[in-house]
Amino acid sequence: MAIINLRFGEELKKYGAFDFNACYNCGNCTAVCSLSTEDDSFPREMVRFSVLGLEDDIKSSLKPWLCYYCGECTMHCPRTAYPGELMMSLRRWLTSVYDWTGLSGLLYKSLPLSILAFVLTALGVIIFSVYKKFDLASIMHYGHYFEMFAILTVLGVIFVPNLIRMWWFVILKPKIKVPFKKYVRGLWELIVHMFTQKRALGCDDNQLRWFEHFILVIGYLGLLFTTVVLDWFSSGSLFVTALGYLLSITVFAVTVIFVSERVRKKKELSKFSQPSDWLFVIWLFLMGLSAFVVRVFIDTGILENNIWIYLLHLTILVQWALIIVPFGKWTHFLYRSFAMYFAKIKG
Amino acid sequence: MNKKLGVYICHCGGNISDYVDVEKVRLSVENEEGVFIAKTTMFACGDSNQKEMVEDIKNNHLDGVVVASCSPKLHLLTFRAVTERGELNKYNYIHANIREQASWAHSDDKARATEKAIHIVKAAIAKVRYAESLVPIKIKSIKSVAVIGGGVAGMKAAIELSNLGCQVYIIEREYFVGGRVSQWDALFTTNETGKELVTRLYNDLVKRRNITIYTSTEVISCSGNIGDFKLKIKTTPRYIKEKCNLGELQNAIDACPVEVPDDFNFHITSRKAIYHNFPGEYPQSPVIDIKNCTRCGACEKICENVDFSQKEEITDINVGSVLMATGFDPYTPADGEFGYNSFDNVVTLPQFKRMIDLSDEKLTFKGREIKNIAYIYCVGSRQVEGENKYCSRYCCTSAIHAAINAKKKFRNIYNFHFTRGIRTYGKQEVLYDESSRMGDIYLQSYENDPPVVTGMNDKTVVRINDILTGKREMEVEADLVVLITGMVPRKDNSVGSLFKLPKGRDRFFNEIHMKLRPVETVIDGITISGACQGPKNIMEAVNSALSAATKSYSYVSKGELELEPIIARIDKNLCTWCNACSQACPFDAVKMEEDKTKVFAVINSSVCKGCGMCLPVCPTDAINLIAYSNSEIESMIDALA
Repeated sequence: MAIINLRFGEELKKYGAFDFNACYNCGNCTAVCSLSTEDDSFPREMVRFSVLGLEDDIKSSLKPWLCYYCGECTMHCPRTAYPGELMMSLRRWLTSVYDWTGLSGLLYKSLPLSILAFVLTALGVIIFSVYKKFDLASIMHYGHYFEMFAILTVLGVIFVPNLIRMWWFVILKPKIKVPFKKYVRGLWELIVHMFTQKRALGCDDNQLRWFEHFILVIGYLGLLFTTVVLDWFSSGSLFVTALGYLLSITVFAVTVIFVSERVRKKKELSKFSQPSDWLFVIWLFLMGLSAFVVRVFIDTGILENNIWIYLLHLTILVQWALIIVPFGKWTHFLYRSFAMYFAKIKG
Repeated sequence: MNKKLGVYICHCGGNISDYVDVEKVRLSVENEEGVFIAKTTMFACGDSNQKEMVEDIKNNHLDGVVVASCSPKLHLLTFRAVTERGELNKYNYIHANIREQASWAHSDDKARATEKAIHIVKAAIAKVRYAESLVPIKIKSIKSVAVIGGGVAGMKAAIELSNLGCQVYIIEREYFVGGRVSQWDALFTTNETGKELVTRLYNDLVKRRNITIYTSTEVISCSGNIGDFKLKIKTTPRYIKEKCNLGELQNAIDACPVEVPDDFNFHITSRKAIYHNFPGEYPQSPVIDIKNCTRCGACEKICENVDFSQKEEITDINVGSVLMATGFDPYTPADGEFGYNSFDNVVTLPQFKRMIDLSDEKLTFKGREIKNIAYIYCVGSRQVEGENKYCSRYCCTSAIHAAINAKKKFRNIYNFHFTRGIRTYGKQEVLYDESSRMGDIYLQSYENDPPVVTGMNDKTVVRINDILTGKREMEVEADLVVLITGMVPRKDNSVGSLFKLPKGRDRFFNEIHMKLRPVETVIDGITISGACQGPKNIMEAVNSALSAATKSYSYVSKGELELEPIIARIDKNLCTWCNACSQACPFDAVKMEEDKTKVFAVINSSVCKGCGMCLPVCPTDAINLIAYSNSEIESMIDALA
């Protein structure tokens, strides 16, 4: 027995979905999807659940994460109901459902609130700098500490509880029995998907995009490692310096492709960008670029007189680490890989 | 019997000659008695052969012609015309089918195909020896048409016939014209209302001198035949004089103490015994419903136009053709069918449509505001158990249109459609699209697992195993349940029996051929149109009305009609009037007659269709079918043996 809940559709529209009510259940979307299988068939079922507002069914489903948005479904939809964009919106909605703080939902639904958060974090950086009397060495020192602190806090306070919530929704609450052995054996799947996103290769004609995305992930993780662990900005090692340059260039160069795709709107997946999508790619770009420039300023010895560039970089970093990573689109990195993990151990 | 006969055997370009040795056929028949010419031809229907045949018939003064070729369905009329051009009466032509019956059917055995073809041609020759010249029966045809039913179909047909110069009588059983359409408000796609549509047609009708409108009038008897139907019609009085002061009348209506359920609003409201359905109705004269009137005289005291002295009138009219446009009734669900009559918030689609029209601002029913509406489709149509196997075809569209209208007119309406698959064919599909984009929910079940309406603590709940959600049981709490009822034939369809119109398995009036003769009936001169023939939407009803008007006109346009002379003939001397033939006749063409010496049967030549049903039942063999007499058939059988 399920009760139809029309309010859910209204709620979902705030996450970007639209026109999915036009669906007449022909199933063309599912038929053309190259990732849908007989056991895990989507997106029609998800469209239907969304129309009827079957929230619990969507919460316990991993299917939104199993879609990598090639856009074939939307192209073939005879009712222009945009099933691909609906799946995207469901991922945003699920992100906010997993998030125990509720901040994800607020930021997804309200652009003014997002802007406010960005302004407040920028103000924080400025106040901190004033407090430190614009002493570059001290600010950079704390900047490095902040990076390490932010990673551990976000992981412990946000990600771990959120992943436990995801586990609760998809495995524990539906009372699916999974033996401990499976949890252990499935770990390899988790690691493989986290670092390769190989499922995305299953989408038609997606090799290039997968490769770009793969390089970006490696570049980003590498840059994170280089700045946090190897302390790129303070390192004198030629190898570390060169690696940092290479990785930061990789990050901003590849994000240029992603941003320009969203601007040109040629592919289905880049046609409907929500603020969260723009912020994610643009901030990633700015991170790579500002880190690169800061290091150039260090190497040319002019950073001392141009402290603003470091403050700018720090602001971007803080906004990234406190807003986009814990509550924004960054989380798909985790949820996608864990979805593959849960799907593996469930099955 | 010394007839000079011409026989032509066709190759049909190989269709026949590839399997039948046509030369052998020719050789086998050329020496048959009376055969003067026997030829083969590549294409008998070809121009050059036709010309050659005409010359042969003329020059040799042939008395009979046989062409052995394809099916008579294809070329009987062709060669009859050839015969006529050869100055020989066309009934002296006999067609032999050696393509469908020999070459095509027996392509595996050429020798026996040829043998069979020879027999068929010999039988045709045997028949042609008996052929006689016949003259088509000519009967007079009165240039007037009776249109039974004054709904959109009837009115539109009447206008069309009037344009063609026919005298038209519209005979409407109700007190007001407009039929079902006058009951609907906004119509798809223009949002023009049904009332506007009726007004427009009525204004056109009354301008025309050659149209007479009878309201509250029924046909009580019919005699005669195509070209000359004699109808007796009975008009019930309105008990109101023609010109009426509307103010006084309203007072009279207010004063009337009688309240009866209002048919016009499908019983969701009541009306007085003196009433009119709505102010702009036609004719614009109210009426006293004498069946329910108590004759208390309250109205009479107020309004001087009330006149109880009016009497029933019987009128005779004489028409050449009758056009039926008697419409449909909405299906009435059985008690308990989806909660009908067991829960007070279960209504039918026509009732719901009237509710939308009659409510302002808020949609309320029995004092309760309505938000959640559940629509249950295919009620009384596509029945698994019941008799109505057909799809009523208009209801999906009509339901969705009503749901959209309700949503647009009132705030906070949520529509839930419990369907068995939506059939908004053609342009109507845009409505389905619009409604789903507006957020209407569509659920679907199989015919053997229909939705269930239950009552729980003052709430009405509709449940369905939704096949679009993997047969999951879904539930909606509904403030109102609308049963999307289909069309059924009129409850009182006695006018059809009066004209002896046959009905189909769906109990609607039946046409001769669904595709090729869609408005003709087996009763010559009577056409059918609109929803009396089967479920139709307004556009389809008007289409068929215009088609029926043209067909009816073709019966009466010339003032006379030519009928096929191949009919039954009774030998008065042999007839003993046992009544068997008249009982066997499906067309009511046999009548008893009497002269000084005896009682005997006679055939009405304008009604007889030459079907032959009367022949085998005659104990004295007094009946012969022209061109199919016993001696002809026997000689053919002999030739085949």
